[in-house]
Amino acid sequence: MDLHLDPDELNACVQCGLCLPHCPTYRVSGDETLSPRGRIQLMREVQLRGAPVTVEVRASFETCVQCRGCEPACPSGVPYGHLIEKTRETLAREAPGSTRWSRLLLAPLGRPGLLRLGSSALAVAARLRLAPKRFGVPTSLPVRRRPHTTSGDDVYLFTGCVMDAWQRDVHIAGQRVIEAAGFGVTPTGDAAPCCGALHSHAGLTDTTRRFAENMIAALRVDDRPILVDSAGCGAAMKDYGRLLGTREADAFSARVFDIQEWLALHVDRLPVVEPLDLTVAVQDPCHLRHVQRVHEATRIVLAPMVRDLVELDDEGLCCGAGGAYSLLQPELAGEIRGRKLGSIARAAPDVVASANPGCSMHLGAAGVATMHPMELIARALDVSPARTPAAPPPR
Amino acid sequence: MRIRESFTPWRRRVVDPLVADLRAALSVDRVRIDGAERALMARDASVFAGGVAGPTCFPVSTAEVQAIMGIAAAHGRAIVPRGAGTGLAGGAIPLGAPIVVSTGKMNRILEVDTANRVAWVEPGVINLDLTTHLTPVGFHFAPDPSSQSVCTLGGNVANNSGGPHCLAYGVTDAHVLAVEVVSADGEVLMLGGLDAEPAGLDLRGAFVGGEGTLGIATRIAVRLTKNAPAVRTLLLSFATVRDAAETVSAIIAAGIVPAALEVMDQRITVAVENFVGAGYPTDAAAVLLAEVEGLAAGVDIDAARIDEIGRANGATGVRLAGTEHERALLWKGRKTAFGAIAQLAPDYYLHDTVVPRSALADVLEQVYEIAERHDLVVMNVFHAGDGNLHPLLLFDAREEGTLERVHAAGAEIVRASLAAGGVLSGEHGIGVEKQRFMGELFTDDDLDHQARLRHAFDPACRANPGKVLPSGHSCADIQALHEVPTGVWG
Ligand SMILES: Cc1cc2nc3c(=O)[nH]c(=O)nc-3n(C[C@H](O)[C@H](O)[C@H](O)COP(=O)(O)OP(=O)(O)OC[C@H]3O[C@@H](n4cnc5c(N)ncnc54)[C@H](O)[C@@H]3O)c2cc1C
Ligand code: SF4
Ligand code: SF4
Repeated sequence: MDLHLDPDELNACVQCGLCLPHCPTYRVSGDETLSPRGRIQLMREVQLRGAPVTVEVRASFETCVQCRGCEPACPSGVPYGHLIEKTRETLAREAPGSTRWSRLLLAPLGRPGLLRLGSSALAVAARLRLAPKRFGVPTSLPVRRRPHTTSGDDVYLFTGCVMDAWQRDVHIAGQRVIEAAGFGVTPTGDAAPCCGALHSHAGLTDTTRRFAENMIAALRVDDRPILVDSAGCGAAMKDYGRLLGTREADAFSARVFDIQEWLALHVDRLPVVEPLDLTVAVQDPCHLRHVQRVHEATRIVLAPMVRDLVELDDEGLCCGAGGAYSLLQPELAGEIRGRKLGSIARAAPDVVASANPGCSMHLGAAGVATMHPMELIARALDVSPARTPAAPPPR
Repeated sequence: MRIRESFTPWRRRVVDPLVADLRAALSVDRVRIDGAERALMARDASVFAGGVAGPTCFPVSTAEVQAIMGIAAAHGRAIVPRGAGTGLAGGAIPLGAPIVVSTGKMNRILEVDTANRVAWVEPGVINLDLTTHLTPVGFHFAPDPSSQSVCTLGGNVANNSGGPHCLAYGVTDAHVLAVEVVSADGEVLMLGGLDAEPAGLDLRGAFVGGEGTLGIATRIAVRLTKNAPAVRTLLLSFATVRDAAETVSAIIAAGIVPAALEVMDQRITVAVENFVGAGYPTDAAAVLLAEVEGLAAGVDIDAARIDEIGRANGATGVRLAGTEHERALLWKGRKTAFGAIAQLAPDYYLHDTVVPRSALADVLEQVYEIAERHDLVVMNVFHAGDGNLHPLLLFDAREEGTLERVHAAGAEIVRASLAAGGVLSGEHGIGVEKQRFMGELFTDDDLDHQARLRHAFDPACRANPGKVLPSGHSCADIQALHEVPTGVWG
């Protein structure tokens, strides 16, 4: 089968294997079929040598979390993300049946009203213990949400789909922090309902393109920065330029910033606060660290806000959340999370800071206390009286 | 994950008695027979394309390895052990449709005994994972191949691998106390022991470097090395490769024993810098990475002397890594050097020969000359301290006729090293790569003795047949290869 992969991209891998230990599925399975090098080799077998797409081959592609931990590890710069995305796109088109679960799961994302309604129903169900356990629905899902308010037009805050329905408090905290740095914020709300990241992971790239075009049109009003507090969404929106291949899309992507990334540029405008009395471990979402590669910003903005900021010892290995991955591949997702839990236990933090809703829910379902960096900063700001200078040094 | 099996169009494989036996001994999902999956196992990190892998097994215990060996013997099939598949001499590629035995799922660190400085590990443990595990208690595993973040200890033992820091500490052989081995006929042997001087023949020493032809290591007792209290890392740049090579000889001649002395030429430095951004000078013809370890006062003196010797030998710049972060980045650059090549060409052939240190500069000049004559781009990166050269030939295999030129140039490089009094392999092993040169280094008598040792472990030549020894000295190997009707697994 022609997977429609770029021959040069496919040929770029020299099989050195240096990506293997950075791949969560290889790590937990010890099986090269579930490794980046193995998957690239299978793509070659299928595209270049006509190997049939058997159940095994399909499983290898479908178990990829698309964390892209293999990319920064690859000294040859193999664009693995493109390769797997294209592979999944082709497979989804050739065998639409294989994506029915993801289609069903992702259907509500572009319809914010429906999604909120459904989420509230799910929240009630979770409280009444009616939701299937396998879904790991947190009992903390909100039944009601505080409304968004616009405070100015310096920046957009992208609110998105699931996150707005499930974790709107994070947006509100983010807005509070950006305002404290002296900027007026416009939450995008239903004007830009979904970025389409999960769709492109599932191979439904056409939907992503449609969402991208809608969003670019909706936020065309002026060229103010668009801040994103979900790492997965930010990575997808920064990729619109490549996805659509238009100058307008390029210009749009250049306006997209991860909220920590942007705050780090303006961190001196935040008031000096009394650090929260907490040990906080930074868990880098893959799409922040491996794709956007702006994870240092999280440290810059958090360090002044908490007593101890500690690192995990797994070099940013994926936690297994992967968008809808934890629902579609629960077994592997659980094993991958197991490694992350070990790493968290060794760091022994009071709370884990994670800048991606998927990661925090996946870890939260295993009993880890997680907070978004923005929630931590907002709390630090609330505890300290605003704009008090730091306590004078002891004489 | 459970991988369900596809039933079409392979009905016959379900009834294949070999597969049925293997699956009965292990489990369905740990014996893989999918065509594309087996195609993965036909390659390692080398340029050699193997034959066709037979069923691929993922045992989790010594008992399972034993069962696989028994089944292989009963069905008259060969086996090839596989670690992480980072070997560069084709050691893990299948010849003649053998059963592939992957140690990927045997990756537990079983016991760490810091008092006696020994750890027991399973063979699939990744080299760097062991060191990371030991960091909190202040120890590490000394052999540090550039592939250490990936390669397995089983692979290290089989290839007797080295690394930059083996200059001071010695290669894998010096760090392995005992190995539990399942031999080709399914017997479990314990070679070596924890005593300082184990009684009897040093069969452990024979096994280390055996490249999987003497059986499968299922447990390894490794020696732990205490972390040095202080480390200094210097980066010296030079206007010619010769100056760098001569500095290396001068440092050793001055009686300093650095922990590592690594040289990279300009082309490779540029590629590496592009990947890691560690501040390598991209305008220098060669750079030397030198590291000294020990007590703080001592390393400062050594670092100052290396600085002085470097400048006396033409160093144009000397930089001392100021922080641990800077040092780590420099090493990351050196250790990803081979992988960074694909930025420049889609394929590379990495050589591995050793020459006397005094001949380094001359042999290097010949290497550049040979490559030029064959119209190839060559890069040099090497463990300079022990004269271990790694010339890399760059090419694009899709271009007609290139591979022939690459092999011809490679052969000349190997011969130039031998002529300068060198040996065939510093650390990557012989595998299928250097077999044909064995006769140029060893006499027939030597080779017969090696073959006899091998047959003592494996009379039927079922363990990794067709590797290491040239065919004239391993007739039984050839027999084992031919027992399998070709095309069975095609
Ligand atoms: C980027 C890169 C850098 C490298 N740098 C170095 C370096 O600095 N120094 C160096 O020495 N090598 C280096 N190598 C080569 C390679 O990494 C080493 O030879 C390594 O030890 C191989 O380990 P592996 O687990 O990948 O083994 P594999 O490649 O899977 O196997 C290697 C050989 O060991 C045998 N084997 C594996 N496991 C067992 C077992 N349990 N029992 C018996 N036999 C077994 C196999 O049959 C095969 O013959 C490098 C390779 C790459 C790709
Ligand atoms: S690190 Fe890059 S070149 Fe090496 S095997 Fe992985 S993808 Fe291929
Ligand atoms: S994207 Fe993640 S899961 Fe997929 S191959 Fe790369 S490292 Fe592995």
